[in-house]
Amino acid sequence: MNDHLNHDHLNQDEFILAYYGEPAPDANRDHLASCADCSAELARLAAVLDRVEAGETPEPDAGYESRMWQRLEWRLPAERRAAGPATPRRPLTRWLAAAAALAVAFLAGILISRSERVSQQVAAVKPAAATQTATATPVSTGITDQQRDRILLVVVGDHIDDSERVLVELTNLTPNGKTDITSERERAEDLLASNRLYRRTALDRGEEQMATLLDELEPVLLQIAHAPAQVSPEELRSIQKRVEAKGIVFKLRVVRADVRNDTRAPAVHHLQQPTI
Amino acid sequence: MQPSDNELVELVRGGDDDAFRQLVERHSRPLFRSAYRITGNSADADDVVQETFLRSYRGLTSYDSRATFATWLHRIAINCALDLIDSRRRREGRIDAGEDLSLLPSPAASPDRVVLGTEMQRAIAAAMDALTGNERTAFVLRHFEGMPLEDIGQILGTRLNATKNTVFRAVRKLRHQLQPFTGSPT
Repeated sequence: MNDHLNHDHLNQDEFILAYYGEPAPDANRDHLASCADCSAELARLAAVLDRVEAGETPEPDAGYESRMWQRLEWRLPAERRAAGPATPRRPLTRWLAAAAALAVAFLAGILISRSERVSQQVAAVKPAAATQTATATPVSTGITDQQRDRILLVVVGDHIDDSERVLVELTNLTPNGKTDITSERERAEDLLASNRLYRRTALDRGEEQMATLLDELEPVLLQIAHAPAQVSPEELRSIQKRVEAKGIVFKLRVVRADVRNDTRAPAVHHLQQPTI
Repeated sequence: MQPSDNELVELVRGGDDDAFRQLVERHSRPLFRSAYRITGNSADADDVVQETFLRSYRGLTSYDSRATFATWLHRIAINCALDLIDSRRRREGRIDAGEDLSLLPSPAASPDRVVLGTEMQRAIAAAMDALTGNERTAFVLRHFEGMPLEDIGQILGTRLNATKNTVFRAVRKLRHQLQPFTGSPT
């Protein structure tokens, strides 16, 4: 090793650069070529890194690009609206419906705060009645953060219930010939609009776990909403696989159970688990 | 002659959604491959590709042609994948065994090799999972995709030295985790 005494051995970082063939100073290259210790160390590093191989990456099928476009196309108008006001707008009925649902929930909370009978009245309040009451009731009166949390829990709990029902119904279908999923499709479409609103609300409120769950739910609902009314066995299996791969039904049940516990509790004070 | 990416981008900015369709069809497949390497499963990779195009559509006004459109998209995809990995880790705090099936050895391997290969691949999967999002991404891009460090830095938004250090940390951690299988000192 006398021929490399005029140069220090390479350090670990330099070995990594050498392994990947990154540019190195001439002195490093010369040293590596002549130093048995460093050559051996590089070989040891290579023995590890050479074994780190990627698992096989599946190649998407021939229709992948078209399917991806189908998943995107219908969302572009909404994205344009979000990006700026310059482009023509389509009716916002779904968003308004979802927004109205949330508004009703908050307004229902006002009623409830007055009567102090929270959970029973939430179920009873009809949207129209709530709206009428709201016009006559100053919004600034009396609702506490805890009561608002509880109302939101009830509303989102219903959303989770409905979503779970759609997914379970679909996963229970047997892929056999053409299957009519018109009903599930329409319900998924409705749920999609409210899902986005609730997710945004969860994000705004810092409820990351709930936001994440709703974020996961969205593409599943999306796939169902944009499936044909009559699905082939392959299409149905694809939906079922997606639902199962995400374990989304299980997650919805877990969160729903937490939400139920929270709404039964005498006061909403523990919002660490999935809540909104 | 096919329009270039930048020409299509200009058309999309003018409200031409069909131009965006062409960009989606042109770039979906390579984005899927990259997303799969980072997320480790097809469903997540699909979601990453979809979210990447939505974010890019939203952010087209900020695309300034300094990087190629493909690089810009790739950068968005990596960020989407990192977001997804982070949220998954926060949510689950564990490895979902079902997501690592692609790392299992080929059924054609001999029984001995299956056992050793399976253990090794599981160790690699666990070691990869122990990396931070940035480390995993930098390692995947350098080791599996052969991407130059400068380009990785562009995607991660880090300077060259910081990018190198991220790769160094990833390699050191992997080497340490895999030492029982390779006998190589760390």
